[in-house]
Amino acid sequence: MINEEYFLAALRLAAGHDPLPEHVSAAARDAYGLRVPQAVTAVPAECPASREVRSSDGCKMVRFVAAGLTFDLEVTVGDGLIDVAGQIVPHPGEGSHVDVRTPHLTLTRRLARTGHFAATGLPPGWLSVVCHRPGQPPVQTRWVRIRP
Amino acid sequence: MHEPRDSGELLMAAADDDQRAWDMLESRYGPRMWATARACGLSEADAADAVQGAWLRLLEHLHTIRDPSGIGAWLATTTRREAMLILRKGRPGVPLPEVVPGDPDPAAAVLEADNSRRLWNAVSGLHEPCRTLLRLVASDCGNRQVAGRLGVPLGSVGPTRSRCLERLRTLIHQQETVQ
Repeated sequence: MINEEYFLAALRLAAGHDPLPEHVSAAARDAYGLRVPQAVTAVPAECPASREVRSSDGCKMVRFVAAGLTFDLEVTVGDGLIDVAGQIVPHPGEGSHVDVRTPHLTLTRRLARTGHFAATGLPPGWLSVVCHRPGQPPVQTRWVRIRP
Repeated sequence: MHEPRDSGELLMAAADDDQRAWDMLESRYGPRMWATARACGLSEADAADAVQGAWLRLLEHLHTIRDPSGIGAWLATTTRREAMLILRKGRPGVPLPEVVPGDPDPAAAVLEADNSRRLWNAVSGLHEPCRTLLRLVASDCGNRQVAGRLGVPLGSVGPTRSRCLERLRTLIHQQETVQ
């Protein structure tokens, strides 16, 4: 029964058993550096192709929408790393670029004329894409957890 | 310089570019977020993801939390929600309770009482065998060890533990009502 488990967790916490690991605490503090000032958050939307379903080849489609932009991300998990192939429609404008981000690594990519971009070799875990547009606030997808 | 202590004040300072305030929030709520994730039955690796996810959600909502003073409950509830999502991905088809950040969560309220002194005072206020049993359980003793220490049949440990936890819950509730 989950309430019992909560009580037991609180007791163990008070007793000093199962303490918060230092690396979890450090990661939480480092997360503060991931904020994007003035960013608009793109929220998940239904993806007509596959509704966030992971196919047999480990590929997962996710869609985010905000500020008139649609982010379609095709995320592939293989060999312990993440590859992202994405498209932003409509094209956010000349001079725009994206940051494909995990808590430990950010890869910056220019957008093709079609709005396509790609990033490979990212560590599994939490992932977000930020679109920077000249003269307009950045648009950031919600963080999504990608694990094999 | 005045050091912000109130959680709501810390949250507003963190929203205003104050890394130290964020670190203080982490010190204050990180342990109970960890306990919340572990209480949902997650492994250490998945619990780490759930806790990290909750902090990332806070980043997304840093300027839009409606009740800054309730940030502790918000973080606990959000951690639980992320933990449930991770559990659901690991066990497709298993229905899990819907958890909405900001909603009152009785389980999170228990963890709000995780101040060691308060909790141990409540345990000390219980009659035997509950007092000893819960101290043993908190020390990660298994049922067999508990049965041996208490001199009771192995099969009675589980039901007795449930009764003792219920008494502890009642006692904490009474103490909160009096305060």
